[in-house]
Amino acid sequence: MPEKRLSLELEYQKTREDLESLERYIEEFSEFLPLPVFIVNPADVIIGINRAFQDLTRYNEMEIVGKETNFLFLEKRKVKTLEEEILSKKKRIIREMTLLTKDGKKIPVNVSGQFRRDEEGNLIGYFFALFNISALKKFQEELEKKVREKTKELVGKTKGLEASGKALLNILEDIKEALSKTEEEKNKTQAIITNFTDGLFLFDEKSNLLLVNPQAEVFFKIGAKDLINRPILELSNIPALASLAKLLGPEIKGIFRKEFQTKEDLVLEVSTIPIMRKEEKLGTLVILHDVTREKRIERMKTEFVSIAAHQLRTPLSAIKWTLRMLLDGDLGETTKEQRNFIEKTYGSNERMITLINDLLNVNRIEEGRYLYKPSRADIEVVTQFVVNSYKEESKKRGIKIDFKKPKKKMPLVSIDVEKMRLAVQNILDNAVRYTPVGGKVTVSLKRAKEEIEISIKDTGVGIPKDQKARVFTKFFRAANVMRMETEGSGLGLFIAKNIIEAHGGKIWFESEENKGSTFHFTLPIKEEFGEFLKTG
Amino acid sequence: MAKKILLIEDEEIMVNLLQRKLTAEGYETSVARDGQEGMEKMKEAKPDLILLDIIMPKMGGFEVMEEMKGDGELKKIPVIVISNSGQPVEIDKAQTLGAKDWLIKTEFDPQEVINKVKKQIG
Repeated sequence: MPEKRLSLELEYQKTREDLESLERYIEEFSEFLPLPVFIVNPADVIIGINRAFQDLTRYNEMEIVGKETNFLFLEKRKVKTLEEEILSKKKRIIREMTLLTKDGKKIPVNVSGQFRRDEEGNLIGYFFALFNISALKKFQEELEKKVREKTKELVGKTKGLEASGKALLNILEDIKEALSKTEEEKNKTQAIITNFTDGLFLFDEKSNLLLVNPQAEVFFKIGAKDLINRPILELSNIPALASLAKLLGPEIKGIFRKEFQTKEDLVLEVSTIPIMRKEEKLGTLVILHDVTREKRIERMKTEFVSIAAHQLRTPLSAIKWTLRMLLDGDLGETTKEQRNFIEKTYGSNERMITLINDLLNVNRIEEGRYLYKPSRADIEVVTQFVVNSYKEESKKRGIKIDFKKPKKKMPLVSIDVEKMRLAVQNILDNAVRYTPVGGKVTVSLKRAKEEIEISIKDTGVGIPKDQKARVFTKFFRAANVMRMETEGSGLGLFIAKNIIEAHGGKIWFESEENKGSTFHFTLPIKEEFGEFLKTG
Repeated sequence: MAKKILLIEDEEIMVNLLQRKLTAEGYETSVARDGQEGMEKMKEAKPDLILLDIIMPKMGGFEVMEEMKGDGELKKIPVIVISNSGQPVEIDKAQTLGAKDWLIKTEFDPQEVINKVKKQIG
């Protein structure tokens, strides 16, 4: 039946067309697919590839189709294993492998595989798709590298941190220790300040009162808490502190051991000490030392010496006059031997009188009433007078005295002539007394800018090096001269120094043992007289 | 006629020594042991010169001079002070009270007293 045949033919034709169309579709689809794909049969022979596969592997269809998969991957037989696994698990499996391209590149890929079946469910092969993961890999590697680096860096930093942490802990410990030490020091200082027997005021750099210790409160009968943080100018309005504030001045001047009488009849010795940190002034400490008792004892001592000396003078002058009259024959004839004894006794008595006079002079110096009669005088005349009075004594001792007068006339100086004579005499007396026979004493005058300098040089025994600092102190006698002469009060240079300083002058010396000493002193040329001058 | 000197001094030995020395020099002496006695003696004996001690019982030398200063007759008698002390203040005070001279016992010899006396009254 041609009609039936025609219809069959037509159906066949149609089916064929459909199939062709499907095939083209698949082919086109496969060509278009960007994912590289290859198909193998159950015997692992490649039976088809797409365009993307060719692009990735650089192989063309002719070079690939009909070959086993082994040569495509670095990992041999892995595709085979993958196929078996797919088969057994009956599902799609992905494995990472390394694709070997025709031009010798190794590309990391994810191979995704799935089996193919026919209508009856028989295995007819596998689909494989490749996913190029090189970019991913690279990215991952870089990421890993970065992670490694960061990790390393972090480890380093951590170590550093750990070290700093430890160091910090150490520092913290040190600070803690330092703090406790500071605290301890502070407590100690506080205890010292509180229990200090001297009164203390502490001012800051702007002269505000920072601290008053209990002793200062007692001295002035004041309460510290009402006064703290107030400037010194305000303190001068408080009656109890007015005179102290006046003494200190608005900027708290430098004071060293200045006597100060409080309302309570206390005598305080005031000293101020600037508190410095490097160059910076942080404040001023005012120290008040109670010298009331010392003053009272000093006054008693002075009074005692004064009374004792005056009391001693009466019998001493009686002895002096009696002996003198005996020697002069006013009380009858004496034998030569008697006269000899009386002369020696007279000499001893004279020394005693000198000693008493020295003691009285020292006493008056200490009482601050010593200089009395200032006048304009020529120091050359004063010096000459003293030098002349030693002519006889030096001749007796076999010593030459030389007075080198200046060529030009010296200006007049304001001096208490009697006292200045005594000062020169005391210095010259030592020079003559402690210079061996054949020695020489040279007295000279020299004009400096604002003063006159008087020098008394001898070729005597000198002052031992270790005793030089004590030369001008009361009752000092050098060890070497004590052996030479037992007499001497040790007051001469003390008196001389006080007289000279009261005139506004200075005294000093150079000395070498067994070679001699030179004493120098200066007198200012200015007309006014020193503040030492007091009547009484 | 011998010059008359009144010695006002409490110290026995000084009196003895001075009296002896002055007599030897040809002076006529009288003695008072304190200031009060001195005032009486000078009014009675009218001496040519007075040697006066400062520190004495009952009445001191300065008081004696003050009283003499107030008496028209007595203030004409020259006074030489003989003292143990020689403080400038004291010497000044003695001078303003009219003393002619000042002697410090420890610094002068009896002979020097005579010299000073001679200087005043010959």
